[in-house]
Amino acid sequence: MAVPVNAPTSPVRRVSARHFVRLKLRVMGNNFRGQGWRAALFVAGSLIGLWFAVGAFFGLAAPGLAGDDRYALLIAAFAGGLTVLGWLLLPLVFFGVDETLDPARFALLPLTRRTLVTGLFAAALVSVPTVAVLVALSGLVVTAGVFGGWAAALVAAVGVVTGLLLCVAAARAVTSAFASMLRSRRVRDLAAVLLAVAAALLGPLQIAGLAAISDTDWDRLSGLATVIGWTPLGAPWTAGIDVAQGRAWAAPLKLLITVATIVALLAWWSRSLESAMTGTASAGPTRGRPEATGGAVAQLFPRATGWLRRDRFGALVAREARYWWRDARRRANLITIAVVGLFVPVMVNLGGQGFSLDSEQGFSLAGDTSPLLVSLSMLFVGLLAAVTLANQFGFDGSSYAANVVAGIPGRLELRARMAAFSLYVLPMLAVVAVVIALVLGEPTWIGFMAGTLVATYGVGLAVNSFVSVLGAYSLPETSNPFAMNSGAGVAKSFLTLLAMLATAAAAVPMVLAAALLGDAWLWLGLPLGVAYGVGGALLGSYLAGDVLDRRRPELLALVTPRR
Amino acid sequence: MTGEHPALALRGLAKRFDGKIAVAGVDLDVPAGSFYGLLGPNGAGKTTTLSMAVGLLRPDAGSAWVLGRDVWADPVGAKQLLGVMPDGVRLFDRLSGAELLAYHGLLRGMDPAVVDQRATELLDVLALADAGRTLVVDYSAGMKKKIGLACALLHGPRLLVLDEPFEAVDPVSAALIRDILQRYVTGGGTVVFSSHVMEVVQRLCSHVAILADGTIKRVGTLEQVRGERSLEDVFVEVVGGRTATGEELSWLSR
Repeated sequence: MAVPVNAPTSPVRRVSARHFVRLKLRVMGNNFRGQGWRAALFVAGSLIGLWFAVGAFFGLAAPGLAGDDRYALLIAAFAGGLTVLGWLLLPLVFFGVDETLDPARFALLPLTRRTLVTGLFAAALVSVPTVAVLVALSGLVVTAGVFGGWAAALVAAVGVVTGLLLCVAAARAVTSAFASMLRSRRVRDLAAVLLAVAAALLGPLQIAGLAAISDTDWDRLSGLATVIGWTPLGAPWTAGIDVAQGRAWAAPLKLLITVATIVALLAWWSRSLESAMTGTASAGPTRGRPEATGGAVAQLFPRATGWLRRDRFGALVAREARYWWRDARRRANLITIAVVGLFVPVMVNLGGQGFSLDSEQGFSLAGDTSPLLVSLSMLFVGLLAAVTLANQFGFDGSSYAANVVAGIPGRLELRARMAAFSLYVLPMLAVVAVVIALVLGEPTWIGFMAGTLVATYGVGLAVNSFVSVLGAYSLPETSNPFAMNSGAGVAKSFLTLLAMLATAAAAVPMVLAAALLGDAWLWLGLPLGVAYGVGGALLGSYLAGDVLDRRRPELLALVTPRR
Repeated sequence: MTGEHPALALRGLAKRFDGKIAVAGVDLDVPAGSFYGLLGPNGAGKTTTLSMAVGLLRPDAGSAWVLGRDVWADPVGAKQLLGVMPDGVRLFDRLSGAELLAYHGLLRGMDPAVVDQRATELLDVLALADAGRTLVVDYSAGMKKKIGLACALLHGPRLLVLDEPFEAVDPVSAALIRDILQRYVTGGGTVVFSSHVMEVVQRLCSHVAILADGTIKRVGTLEQVRGERSLEDVFVEVVGGRTATGEELSWLSR
């Protein structure tokens, strides 16, 4: 009566990419179920993304709309190249990869590698960023169409679509390769830190690059653009322009380059995918840590917190301080603050003609800055430092349950978290103030610069206390340190933006004072700024602490990853 | 022992998630000094019930008292008497075992000297002292359960609430945990734990409650619930499992 197990009765139906796409849409939809605010944030974030995309669309279509084809190739090559680089590097650190469909979940299914890769690739194409980039880069089609008619527009459209495929394939291949390379936790921590440095440098380099561009011979850049146009970075984007400018022979070659790159990337991805599916993340070798000295309590407190009382506040600060160092996600954030905090003010105050408010004054070093401009850049650094805490409970995840069970008062908890983070950030801010003042050749400015930094940072802590209590979201617990729940990514950017705006608004008095008070501000800046910042932070912890007391279990539910 | 108050009292606890009822009104009295087993199949609502009882999850309705103190109205008073080991919740696992114990002890407002002394003892007894400064994240599953238990015990609570303390624990560690819990109860403490391992419950518990579909189906002392039969038979009957006759999965046999 029985049928042998190894002979399926019905022929196996083919699994196509369509299934993966539908699975992804279903998972995304289920993530929103019963969480209206999440759906609302997703929609809002998507609209903002599309808004920027439409802006970029017109930027890229500008040569066509203006009827001037001198810079068409230049814009296509550089904008396209930066897009590819962005897709390659940004997911690694800032935004994370959408792991809605985790390859490991497919490990037990009888799927060929080809099916799996095409399926996951198709699913990866279904996302807000891909749509936004598609909209933005369609501007190139307009440009090509204006100069070369329908044929050029068609080639450009094909180019943009293949270029987009290239972007997604590159992002997937690189992150997957990293994720499987970084099996052991220690290597992973280290790599996350290195990547954070690299990505944090990306922004300043871009600014420096733009500043350089404004100063360079445009014709020489056209040469560079031609070269980029023949690399995978620029090939897909420039094919349409080539047709429009009478180099039709180049278009098939460039499209061939693109397709070959995509195939190579997918092959690389499929290789790393296999090991990502089969290997389980090992905990890594046991650390050769020095033997424990002293009692348990003495071990908990890092040396820098030795002065703290051995009570609840002290324990919270000590644990947070350890976590900012031991948790790779948090440490990457610290490094971003350090790098960006030093580079952005230097760029803004020294380099950027386009960035300084009084750019007519020319390009002389240290000549084109003012207390107002310095204050603004300090405000940015303080704000960036504070916004790191916007999801401070999300870093803890479900382990936050320990604090809930212990019944810590909300005010105490928030104050301790601020104190621990400040152990790292305040020295950094001091270094930023001193270094920038010295680089600018204005050592007398140190006082008000530090004051502005501390003031912005302090009120930022207050604002972000509220954001972290009310708008917390869970971070995934996967082996991929770059992973990010879909939907949460959009929500994250939106909340961060909101927190930054509120902080900036709260710190405006410091900038106004710098503009209005003149020389008196050189002396008043530090004491007033510190008082403003400390007062703001304390008030914030006082008010947000009450909110935290009321919604502790709800907060725990928010930061606990759903399984 | 307070005598007049049960160690843990639950009245009408209810919770629904996304319109699905997880716990539908649980009433339970855990006498002080008892070793109480909360039995139930997967998805019966054990974790949800215990989470609401200890203040980790806000109930939609109902309330919980620990030795007469309302968990949701007087959380500080109730939580002082309570030691909890949740299941499926991470510890602060980027700390070493000793650091984690120190953190929990100080959070409970204990004297640092007492924390040091008890932490050393607990690590020794639970055979975790060898791990030295290894981070808890690198511990094995069984070691994680043991350090979780140590964290719950450290401040000497009157009531211990443990969610699945024997899950993923090897027999040696399980025996150790059993011994410690039995000593704790002998010393006047109360233990409530959830499990679906009949053998452990039968061996340890003085009282048993069977939870299924979010409600208590049977409750009482072990003898009352079990009667003349084995606990497993009662459990399967109450939960209403095993309806398959063998006809359905005929293709499984060759």
